[in-house]
Amino acid sequence: MKPDPASPSVIYQPFTHGLPPLGGYAKSLWARREFIFEYARADLHQKQYGSILGQIWLVINPLILAGVYYLLLIIIGARGGPDRFGHLTGTLFLFYLITNSITAGAKSVTSGAKLILNASFPRLVLPLAETLIAFMKFVPTLVVLFVIHTILGLPYSLHMLWAPVIIVLTLFFAASCAILASIINVYFRDAQNLLPYFSRTLLYLSPVLYTAQSLDANLNFLKVINPLFPILDTWSAVVIRAEAPDPTNLLLALGYSLFLFSIGTFIFLSREREFAVRI
Amino acid sequence: MSSLSESKSSDVNSKKRAISIENLGLVYRTTLDKRPTFKTRIRRLARRKRQTRIVHAVNNLSLEINYGTVLGVIGTNGAGKSSLMRVISGILPPTSGRVEVFGKVSTLLALGVGFNGKLTGRDNLYLGGLAAGMSRAQIESKFDSIVEFAGLEEVIDAPMRTYSSGMYSRLAFSVAISLDPDILIIDEALSAGDARYKVKSLEKVLEMRNQDRVIIIVSHAMKTLKTVCDEVLWLDHGKIVAQGDPTTVIKAYREFLHVGDAPESDEDL
Ligand SMILES: Nc1ncnc2c1ncn2[C@@H]1O[C@H](COP(=O)(O)OP(=O)(O)OP(=O)(O)O)[C@@H](O)[C@H]1O
Ligand SMILES: [Mg+2]
Repeated sequence: MKPDPASPSVIYQPFTHGLPPLGGYAKSLWARREFIFEYARADLHQKQYGSILGQIWLVINPLILAGVYYLLLIIIGARGGPDRFGHLTGTLFLFYLITNSITAGAKSVTSGAKLILNASFPRLVLPLAETLIAFMKFVPTLVVLFVIHTILGLPYSLHMLWAPVIIVLTLFFAASCAILASIINVYFRDAQNLLPYFSRTLLYLSPVLYTAQSLDANLNFLKVINPLFPILDTWSAVVIRAEAPDPTNLLLALGYSLFLFSIGTFIFLSREREFAVRI
Repeated sequence: MSSLSESKSSDVNSKKRAISIENLGLVYRTTLDKRPTFKTRIRRLARRKRQTRIVHAVNNLSLEINYGTVLGVIGTNGAGKSSLMRVISGILPPTSGRVEVFGKVSTLLALGVGFNGKLTGRDNLYLGGLAAGMSRAQIESKFDSIVEFAGLEEVIDAPMRTYSSGMYSRLAFSVAISLDPDILIIDEALSAGDARYKVKSLEKVLEMRNQDRVIIIVSHAMKTLKTVCDEVLWLDHGKIVAQGDPTTVIKAYREFLHVGDAPESDEDL
């Protein structure tokens, strides 16, 4: 019944700064999927988002923000109109999915120190759980978006079926960013203080307060160098204008996500065994 | 309890190796200032020096543990006991040397049970278990008995920050013994419980002793260790000072601490 003494079931040896066996890692990550869900559920529950009032707050908060930005747009003399408000709310909600994931992801490893020091598990679950939390906070805003869309009399079409694809792409992107942010924060603890400025800048560089079409031709490079640009632009096209997504945008978004994901996981996996002795 | 047949089986199994540690070293690297930041990095870059504090928590340590052993681990605060347990559980990778484990170790140490004080005891239990690789069904099947053994039915749904330290260690111990691994590690989870709970947990350990696994108990409670352990390991500065018969090793340790035979030192503090 007891293990065969001839062959050890586990051997722990010093690691070099290489990757752990990827197959085994993926397997143990998959085995922790319930941890990710339970972590997200417990976190949201603890923050009172389980209650009706909490859920309403989840929705009202970004809605107020959208209102404030709309006011700003009108004051600085931008063209108003229902499609404009629809674009603003729709992209703002998706934008917050990404930045919430980055902000919470940044703290995920450092604030999980107690668990990291006392349990053995693939550390990647920590930033991934934060992305899931950001997603669960995003879901109720989709309902609001649908209501606004209908009230404003914006168009519907079959192209809107692309929405889930774009959400999945966004999640992939958001998770990659969360992973990167979490590593940076292990080595530079003040990184999280810079995040508000970072996300504010990203907001202004993204087609949220303006649309991609209205962008000055001189600034067209933003469409390529800002990784968020293609995602938010496609989201607006599909969900607000009910148009077909631009394939270039989709490919660009996928490319950026794959790129950030590869870098993020590579650094994370080659460094995660060191986290415990550094936090 | 048919002690005869059990002692016989433990005799056979005691020859099986459970853990084999060779020249193990573990080094923590922490920055001198508590938090590594951009600011300090840049400042240090300007001064061209790296200010990391290096702690040799475990120092060239070799050890063999066989099945059927209850091993007590003692040593002053900061001796490296918890660090050694973390390496054996696979939580921390060794800096040097090699650890071979023959069997399933508990990969959740007691100190990780209440990792998030804002969450309830129930959430912490589930999350700790899931993190350690248990399935939800496994935890569910053990949940009631864990809570019942800890005697915490009334507070299990309260945030863990509201727990007393005794309640905390009750839960930790209760989790530790229910994980059901071949190699069980109990770090500090025996302390802080009240007298009644202590008796109860001791009985539990004694009961498990007959099941022919490895139990490693890290504790400052000498009396407890004397009662349950077959062997005691005394660590200091990450090295083994003495290892062997509980009474002898504990006596030497006491003399080292200059507490002699003062009855207080025997108490489970
Ligand atoms: N996460 C950490 N980062 C840096 N140094 C650490 C960390 N954990 C422990 N140490 C250092 O390693 C040494 C051994 O610590 P360890 O926790 O293993 O001691 P211990 O024997 O368990 O002590 P105690 O009896 O107080 O529990 C100590 O000098 C401590 O300062
Ligand atoms: Mg300790």
